[in-house]
Amino acid sequence: MATLAALRAAPRVRGVRLSSRQQSLLGVAILLVLLPIAFRMDPRNFAIFTEVAIWQFIGAGVLTVLVVSTVAIVASLPIAAVLALGRLSTQPWLRYPAIAVVEGIRAVPLLLLIFYVFLSMPRDVPFGLGRETIALTLALMVYTSTINAETLRAGILALDRGQMEAARSLGLSHWQAMRYVIFPQTFRGTLPSLLAQFTTLVKDTSLGSQISMVELLQRGVIIYQGFHNPMETLYVIGLLYFALNFALEQASLATQRGGPQRERG
Amino acid sequence: MDLTLLWLGLLETLKLSILSILISLVLGTVIGIMRAAPLRPVAVFAEGYVVFFRNIPLLIILFFILNGLPASPLAIRLGFFETGLVGLAVYTAAYVAEVVRAGLESLSRGQLEAARSLGMSWALTMRYVLLPQAFAAIIPPLGSVFVALTKNTALASTVAVPELLYQSKIVEARTFNPNVLLITGLMYLIITIPLGVLVNHLEARFSVARFGQR
Repeated sequence: MATLAALRAAPRVRGVRLSSRQQSLLGVAILLVLLPIAFRMDPRNFAIFTEVAIWQFIGAGVLTVLVVSTVAIVASLPIAAVLALGRLSTQPWLRYPAIAVVEGIRAVPLLLLIFYVFLSMPRDVPFGLGRETIALTLALMVYTSTINAETLRAGILALDRGQMEAARSLGLSHWQAMRYVIFPQTFRGTLPSLLAQFTTLVKDTSLGSQISMVELLQRGVIIYQGFHNPMETLYVIGLLYFALNFALEQASLATQRGGPQRERG
Repeated sequence: MDLTLLWLGLLETLKLSILSILISLVLGTVIGIMRAAPLRPVAVFAEGYVVFFRNIPLLIILFFILNGLPASPLAIRLGFFETGLVGLAVYTAAYVAEVVRAGLESLSRGQLEAARSLGMSWALTMRYVLLPQAFAAIIPPLGSVFVALTKNTALASTVAVPELLYQSKIVEARTFNPNVLLITGLMYLIITIPLGVLVNHLEARFSVARFGQR
């Protein structure tokens, strides 16, 4: 009897199944334990992270990251839609410029684009914001819109041809069909990819530090230059970026699962 | 406009790109294989590596190597070029590993089972059965990872590697003409376009090797 019970119990004991999310988190936790040991980080150097003032300083950076990336992604969507439609247009004078913009901007490093926008901006900027904040947001917006344009284009091409044909045969014009039939379906289908772009954006805001913007990474640099604990500070800042992105990724997965699952052509 | 510095920078970018492609390919493949390993802790660790390094900015890794490691009791000091190289390799390896894992997962389970039932060890199966097929399938996504890597070499300018963007900033500072960056942008195409052609060529070649009957 005991053997039988053991046999029955065995798979259950072995079958401590972790979901893929739990497995990733466990892996990251192992890495986060190993890193300080491997590089002999000093626990005393973490002491400053118990102070409220440090977290207020870092928190402002987190806020900057979130605001800049949200503005950039929201503003990128209309531009992306225009570029995607331009590229799919049958008119050469619309199609070729759209291709040139999308491919040209996607082909250069983002940091180069950021420098270019920053250096060619006028000295005076509106809204009392820093030049660097505006330059970073603009550059990220332009870059993201070219990437999102490709995502939207792929989403439009993935739709059944019958959708357009049916709409046109009902008497809708090409643009009306795009507006009322094709686009709403495309947005639903590509939402997860568009949200995934958010993660990339959050990471890319760190490039702002190179045009003297005081965002999250630059705040980390300021902290470790003052407290002489570069390893420990970068570890904490890295962890923050990871946490932000992981949360965003989970939100993106939730829209995939919980999003409207209507039948498509 | 004097373009000598830009050409020097292009050579440096080329060197950095090629070396970091090679290192990240090896490192990423090892981690990708580890993720598919039957040993649970190994797989979980590799998973953690991929998830963590894909979600933090490359600049943090570069700064960690440049400023962090010398402050450690181990006092690891790398040169500027090595800093860029290691940082890019560590970061890109996570993306390579993800692609390799997807390639391995795309194979039928029967491949593993058949090889194992022929008496091949797990390592032999991986080496002679699974990896060759996986690589043939992942050449296009691997190509886009390496194009992204080439663009990311621009970040090495932040750790004083005299590559293309670094030199362009010097030229810009001398001439006060931001349009020099447009030329730099075109110069990146000198690397990324042939890379794309190479990927297409490899794709065509290996898709034949995969399905051809000899």
